Amino acid sequence: MKYAFFQGCNIPIRIQQYATSTTAVLQHFGITLEVVPEFNCCGYPARNVDEKAYLLPSVRNLAIAEKRGLDILVICNCCFASLQKAKNVMAKDSVLLAEMNSILAKEDLKYCGTAEVKHYLTVLHEQVGAETIKKKLVKMFTDLKVSVIHGCHILRPREITRFDNSFMPRITEELLLPTGAKSLDWRGKLECCGAALAGINNDLSHKLLKEKINGAQDAGTDFITPICSYCHLQFDTMQINIQKDSPETKLLPVLLFPQLLGLCLGLDEAALGIEQNSTISPEHIDHIKSLLGPPKEEKKKKKAPVAA
Amino acid sequence: MMMNFNILLGLALFICLVGLIIRLSIWFSQGTRSPAPEASAATRISAALQGVLGTIFSGRIVRMIKSLFVDLLFQERIFNKNLLRWTAHTLIFFGFILLLLMHAMSPLVSESVFSNYQPTLNPFLFLRNLFGLMVLAGVAIAVYRRLTLKAQRLRSAPSDWAALVFVGVIILSGMLLEGSKMSSYSKYQSMVEEYGSSDEEEAKALEAFWVQENGLVSPNVQLPPAPELVQKGMEVNGTSCIECHASNKTAFAGFAMAKITRPFSALLGDAAAVTMFWYLHILACLAFLAWLPFSKMFHIIAAPLSLIVKRVSGDAIDKPANLLTSRMIGLSACTHCGTCSLECSSNMFYESFGNDFILPSEKVQYLKKIMTGKETDPAVLKKMQEGLYVCTSCDRCTTVCPSGINLKELFVHARYMLLKQGMPEKALLSHFSFPLALAQNFVDDHLQALKKVTDQFKKSFQHLTDIPVPVTIGSGRGFSNTSFRGCYSCQRCTNICPVVRSFDDPVEALGMLPHQIMFSLGIGNVDLAMGSQMIWSCSTCYLCQEHCPNQVELCDIFYTLKNSALNKIEAGANS
Repeated sequence: MKYAFFQGCNIPIRIQQYATSTTAVLQHFGITLEVVPEFNCCGYPARNVDEKAYLLPSVRNLAIAEKRGLDILVICNCCFASLQKAKNVMAKDSVLLAEMNSILAKEDLKYCGTAEVKHYLTVLHEQVGAETIKKKLVKMFTDLKVSVIHGCHILRPREITRFDNSFMPRITEELLLPTGAKSLDWRGKLECCGAALAGINNDLSHKLLKEKINGAQDAGTDFITPICSYCHLQFDTMQINIQKDSPETKLLPVLLFPQLLGLCLGLDEAALGIEQNSTISPEHIDHIKSLLGPPKEEKKKKKAPVAA
Repeated sequence: MMMNFNILLGLALFICLVGLIIRLSIWFSQGTRSPAPEASAATRISAALQGVLGTIFSGRIVRMIKSLFVDLLFQERIFNKNLLRWTAHTLIFFGFILLLLMHAMSPLVSESVFSNYQPTLNPFLFLRNLFGLMVLAGVAIAVYRRLTLKAQRLRSAPSDWAALVFVGVIILSGMLLEGSKMSSYSKYQSMVEEYGSSDEEEAKALEAFWVQENGLVSPNVQLPPAPELVQKGMEVNGTSCIECHASNKTAFAGFAMAKITRPFSALLGDAAAVTMFWYLHILACLAFLAWLPFSKMFHIIAAPLSLIVKRVSGDAIDKPANLLTSRMIGLSACTHCGTCSLECSSNMFYESFGNDFILPSEKVQYLKKIMTGKETDPAVLKKMQEGLYVCTSCDRCTTVCPSGINLKELFVHARYMLLKQGMPEKALLSHFSFPLALAQNFVDDHLQALKKVTDQFKKSFQHLTDIPVPVTIGSGRGFSNTSFRGCYSCQRCTNICPVVRSFDDPVEALGMLPHQIMFSLGIGNVDLAMGSQMIWSCSTCYLCQEHCPNQVELCDIFYTLKNSALNKIEAGANS
């Protein structure tokens, strides 16, 4: 199975480890990701300024995927929501569709709406499945507490993203379950990291971020696991920026989901790039590894020799 | 002709030299002014010299030497990106340089390197044609590329075509000159007088052979010449000519061109035709030399420097004086090849906003003018400011630039330089600001620029507190998303909003709360809703919209309000 890999603008230059670890994990389950150099920005950054300018880039990206005959696999929540929104609007607004197709026609592209947009967690959950993941595990966490922050634009608005139950999401829980890591129930799990206000209203943006950091730490977490690339940058870069003002506060380290899963699958650590997370120290990495133990044997297997 | 040549050459060299001095003085005197620190030309020259010497007398010399081979001769950056482009550049580069050394500068180079050098002998005769053909093939690929990539937003300026035409004309005129010489009877006669025998029989045979084999057009030889005569001529050629003059057929391009030049020779007389093509060739070459420092061909000097600086410094230059200079070198190193614009992630915003300056290649063209203070039109500067801001900071342009220009750094500097001098920029209120906040460059300048645009926002709209009660019902027409009609003021949106709960006095901080904005739309007062600070404080988390019991699309409505508010500010600023 092959997907057109939509990395967006942040991941290739600022979070390469998210791309390499996702690629490695999916490759492990026989899913290949094709890098498409023609993809451009998803349009999200322009949404405050002009709704059409926001939609056009995603329509083009979808048309490129169509031309290649591939569905799109996305990591970043904001890219995901932009692509889904574009699909949704194009399905309803034929006038706008014609307008955008006339722009795309210049470079011999046409949007028909045949390419699907999938978040990598959906692919892991639906296509691979927790059972298969379980079978492939070579290690398992004995005691690891993580705080998942879903990020807003993957969950809401639910009619557009159609990712998971937006009030009680269970995909991340079910995917984490076989790894032995405990996904904490904490205050910020479904809330905003503040990224959308960065550079527009920094005070408010920082306030929202700190609220999440404190929330996760109060819940007694070892690591924060952001799903969205914007959340990741808030926790892994902005957190360090704002900590400069108050050095006494404890840094909340970031561990990405494919990095966590990759460790349990015994994948090459270079591909997982854990040390590239700015908030993680070598001690943290040693600590994570010390928590890895052999995978739990199934009860049935124990019975098998007796029967034989 | 030689005297004319020397005068023309002197003139061309003089213009070229003056041009080079002007360009170099710009390198050390101009640049992104405020907010970057200023430095005098003397400081910058001495800092540059220190940098160069510091590199030569240190371990970094290895990187410099590597750069000479990998970046300059092999052109690795183009090779990694696009094989066709690399082929074109390599053909033109090596063809042209080799012609320059072997042919144009033969008294200085070829004659001192090869004791037996004769332009009429092989391999030189053949190689001259081969190198010329290489350049022409390269030019043809470049033209093809510019035409076919137009739809992918590759912009070609008249100067781009001029450069290609110039190079093409130099080579073609050289080939035509060679062709006209081959068929010229007067050229042949002067050669015979200088080197040949006086025997009339032999002379006749030789002439027949040259007509048959070397493309000579003779008034004395009837076509086709008798085979015996040609045979005899070949023997004479073998004893008298071949030592100094190989067969013209090996000069394959010139030989082919003779077909084109023959009608000119017939019309003008063969000597006059040779003179004409000689002037065409010489003038093309010398005009190119004089034009070089004033055109994008200056990249011949600036691009290698830019590439070496990149390889040696790895885009990390500590001295502010050298940063200013390296930016200016970078600007001159741009060949307007358009690779950056082809790969630009913001390319669709260019389609939407119709602003050329969103494309990095076009930004660079104009930044040259802005940095040297040549562009002062506020309308152009405003467009440039927007173009600089509508950028996703994906850094692809910097990664792919074949000249190794640190475009990212150049653009960020220019962005804040213009924001400081210029008008409020509405794109500051977009998520293009996110990577800038993350990078923490120009923090204070960013806040000042933000204040400019938020002040303008506050000035442009009425606020709830300014309006005498009772607030009347407005027309409210033209608002596309009508889901606000479903609002029955349960205030669930406001109660769940993470922004509202961040303030002790949210009404004071946000102007109006989410449910009040829906209410304001409900009574048709769109302007009041647009002027609320709440829309710019919205974190776009969609919790309100998700939790609304009556499917009011609050977050989407906020986006629409933001779009409309910016349009209104823009319209106000332009009226």
